[in-house]
Amino acid sequence: MEAKIKQIIEKLNIPSLQFADVRITKTDMEGIYFQNGFLRNYGSDTDSYAIGIRVLKNGCWGFAGSRNIAAANIEKLIQTAISNAVHGSKFTKEPVNFKPLSPTIAEYAFQPKINPFDMAQEEKLGFVAALADAIKPQGKIVHSMVSAQFMRQEKYYINTEGSYSHTLVYNTLPMMMVVASDGAQVQSRTWPGHMSAGRGGFELFYDQKFKENTERIIKEATDLLTAPMIEDDKADIIIGNGHLALQLHESVGHATEADRIFGMEISYAGKTFVKPQMLGNFQYGSDLVTIYSDSSDPRGMGYHPLDDEGVPGKRTDIIKDGILKDQQTSRHIAHMLGLEPSSNMKASFGDDIPLVRMTNLCLAPQKGSLDQLIADTEHGYLLDFTKTWSIDDNRNNFQFTTEIGYKIQDGKIVGIVKEPTYFGITQDFWNSCDRICGPEEWEYHGTFHCGKGEPGQAMLLSHGIAPARFRKINTKVSY
Amino acid sequence: MKDILRSLVETLSALSELKWVVVHNHWQTDFLRFYRSQTNYNITKENDSIGVSLYKGKKNYAFNIDNPNQEKIDTAIAKALAIIDSLPEDPDFVDIETDLRRANSKASPNNIKALSLETKTQILDTLAKAVAPYKFSIYGTFICNYSQRQLLNSNGLDKSSDTSPIYLEVKAVHDESQVTVLETFGGEDFNRFDLEDFSSRLVQKVLYATSEIVDVEPGAYEVVLAPRCIAEYVQYLCYGMSAQALDQHSSFFEGKIGEQVFPENITIVDDPSDPDIISSSYSYDGHLYQRLPLVEKGVFKNFFTDCYYSHKTGLPENGNSGNCIVLNNGDKSLEEMIGSIKKGLYISSLHYMNFINPKETSLTGLTRDGTFLIEDGKITKVVNNLRFTERIERILSHITMLEKRAYTIPFSGNYEFFGIEAIKAPHVVVQDFNITSSTFTI
Repeated sequence: MEAKIKQIIEKLNIPSLQFADVRITKTDMEGIYFQNGFLRNYGSDTDSYAIGIRVLKNGCWGFAGSRNIAAANIEKLIQTAISNAVHGSKFTKEPVNFKPLSPTIAEYAFQPKINPFDMAQEEKLGFVAALADAIKPQGKIVHSMVSAQFMRQEKYYINTEGSYSHTLVYNTLPMMMVVASDGAQVQSRTWPGHMSAGRGGFELFYDQKFKENTERIIKEATDLLTAPMIEDDKADIIIGNGHLALQLHESVGHATEADRIFGMEISYAGKTFVKPQMLGNFQYGSDLVTIYSDSSDPRGMGYHPLDDEGVPGKRTDIIKDGILKDQQTSRHIAHMLGLEPSSNMKASFGDDIPLVRMTNLCLAPQKGSLDQLIADTEHGYLLDFTKTWSIDDNRNNFQFTTEIGYKIQDGKIVGIVKEPTYFGITQDFWNSCDRICGPEEWEYHGTFHCGKGEPGQAMLLSHGIAPARFRKINTKVSY
Repeated sequence: MKDILRSLVETLSALSELKWVVVHNHWQTDFLRFYRSQTNYNITKENDSIGVSLYKGKKNYAFNIDNPNQEKIDTAIAKALAIIDSLPEDPDFVDIETDLRRANSKASPNNIKALSLETKTQILDTLAKAVAPYKFSIYGTFICNYSQRQLLNSNGLDKSSDTSPIYLEVKAVHDESQVTVLETFGGEDFNRFDLEDFSSRLVQKVLYATSEIVDVEPGAYEVVLAPRCIAEYVQYLCYGMSAQALDQHSSFFEGKIGEQVFPENITIVDDPSDPDIISSSYSYDGHLYQRLPLVEKGVFKNFFTDCYYSHKTGLPENGNSGNCIVLNNGDKSLEEMIGSIKKGLYISSLHYMNFINPKETSLTGLTRDGTFLIEDGKITKVVNNLRFTERIERILSHITMLEKRAYTIPFSGNYEFFGIEAIKAPHVVVQDFNITSSTFTI
């Protein structure tokens, strides 16, 4: 495949093109889904090749992608990509431009502890079946599911500047959920929340302690049926990792994707309240808050030695000590903003065009354990495990409901609340952060399903996170 | 591909202990995305794939192959046969689709070929020039799609369908204030696209959007919901109309067939025969897609029920899934509706809705692409985007007026393979609509 992709880039290394790059991916996927204790779906999609050719001509991008990597088809794709750029350039007034980069050559191969594609079938299905059996409907539990998605992706990238990378990664998305009902209402609990994906193989089921938490989610879902709701208009809230990852994702991650500043995502994902003039002076959060994009950390699913337009993986501080410092950018947008590109251009598969995406977007840890933080809280709630999420077009007004809240009184958890809902404005919220736990609580949470772009792409990405406390947050929503 | 499919069907038919379903999809798309009144990028994509589901008794295994060839298929079948005996059973599985009825043949032209990039950029250039005098630029997407689907199964089903939707979404955004308005076209027949009319509707919205920007306090408002908004609420309501939601005890409509769930002015039907709707010939499983009453004069009538959940719940199978929703119209003009409101809101579009509790239809979401203040029966000002937290059941129960004409609203299904659904709905007036906060942005 290396020889093949190098032959393709030779054909694109012509003076009439300002820049070109090629991606080829080979992806294997497997999915297991148990419902109410029984295997409902089991399937695979293996040896799926995809190729994408992107060219910059007359200051306009043209792209062609396909799942067919035969030589004859590649010739057609090259011509289509060039033709798309030429036609698109007739409706262009600000030609795309960016600084050249020195070539980088990179190889990377990740090996999971337990390869889900090679392990014994009985062990794999047997373990998931046992989980499904442990949470199957009984008592107030009326519905349950256990699912696993495994993905292996080998990627080749090359561009006309001489950069080349070849990578192999494994990612896994394990999840279980129970739904309890008393006839009138339903309450649900998941483990370990909706951001359960990570770099790795089947070992994630063991690392995330699925077996050890089946009884807990059954009990909590059942108890939620009779739990009260939060009555405080405003409250101090501690947000656990099972939900804070999504708060970070929605109100910082998407807000600082710089393609949104220029309206490139208006027709689907939306805009952002962030403006170029805010860089270097906007108080995005309290001085405890440092948030960085780190595609150089191989522990997260956002790791890459090179992004999908040839920028080496790196750490970029987006918010440093509360001040907005940088953005997640492409080479083109970095050039427009006068920034260095942040290595955030990613395409889900070879036949997708790269977009500005989160990689490993992380909240830097401070100090202390979650237990200490609870002990230091006089009155408040520990909220965890996302249930409902919503944020506006500009990523400014959010409202989240978590599956469960744990009421804290005088430094101790004294009960639970159902459907705890909080809302706020992004800047006010991050400025109200007065504690962030330390490295002992910091961990990666990730997703397979961050949607963006047209045609739509679902991206795999990670968030490094530690529980944090936010003061006087709106917790009363009447409806 | 025909030879590959024929060979695959022969191979599977020889395995008499198996039931099987084969789906062949061929898909192409052309996407032109634009921003600041210029091209962002042009994308062409294509794929051929075959999906196979095998059933041995109550055991099931499925695989998908992109860009299939004989070798890949042979390997996948060998793997599936080696696995399937070892799998646990799904006791709720009874049979695959048995409906062999065919729809009247309908051939779609390949609009990718019919609508060139040059034509697209000329249309966009015209629209950009139309809004430029008001200091607005256009942003959005112009898409043509072509897909062919053939579905075969061991019960003798062999059905094909093709679609070639076109979707044009134009947002006009003010160059300084960022006030945004939206106009869309969706359908399979581009002859129905009237550039002059589209441009004039867009400019009319732009004119509304040039007024003063204000904020409003949280509270209960009388609102005019644009057809796109009420259509989206009905789409979300349809979640609870599925037999799957019923089976999972998360349906608002559990135990309510034949009950008055909304006022008599609400009728909702899933109707592929409506000429204004982008029709579906068959369900995902291959069941013939036909008209299905959902709510008649406020009375709940039917759940969407596929083959699997028909056997599981005992409900009759209909194969519907809410792809062709029509909300009845009423007897008022839009002018009468707006004119009847002393102080209220006109809401153009919604954003990022999510259920809080699907069983009670409670959700939260935001307004987008044009929210306006109505004062003394007239649209007077632009309002910042607002958050609402509501129950859809309550919204429908509080509809006091429906417009006498309905509009076809295209929605793009944008995950994986792009598709378009359309819903037909009128403007509606809703009392006591619950605004819970402002976004302070536009």
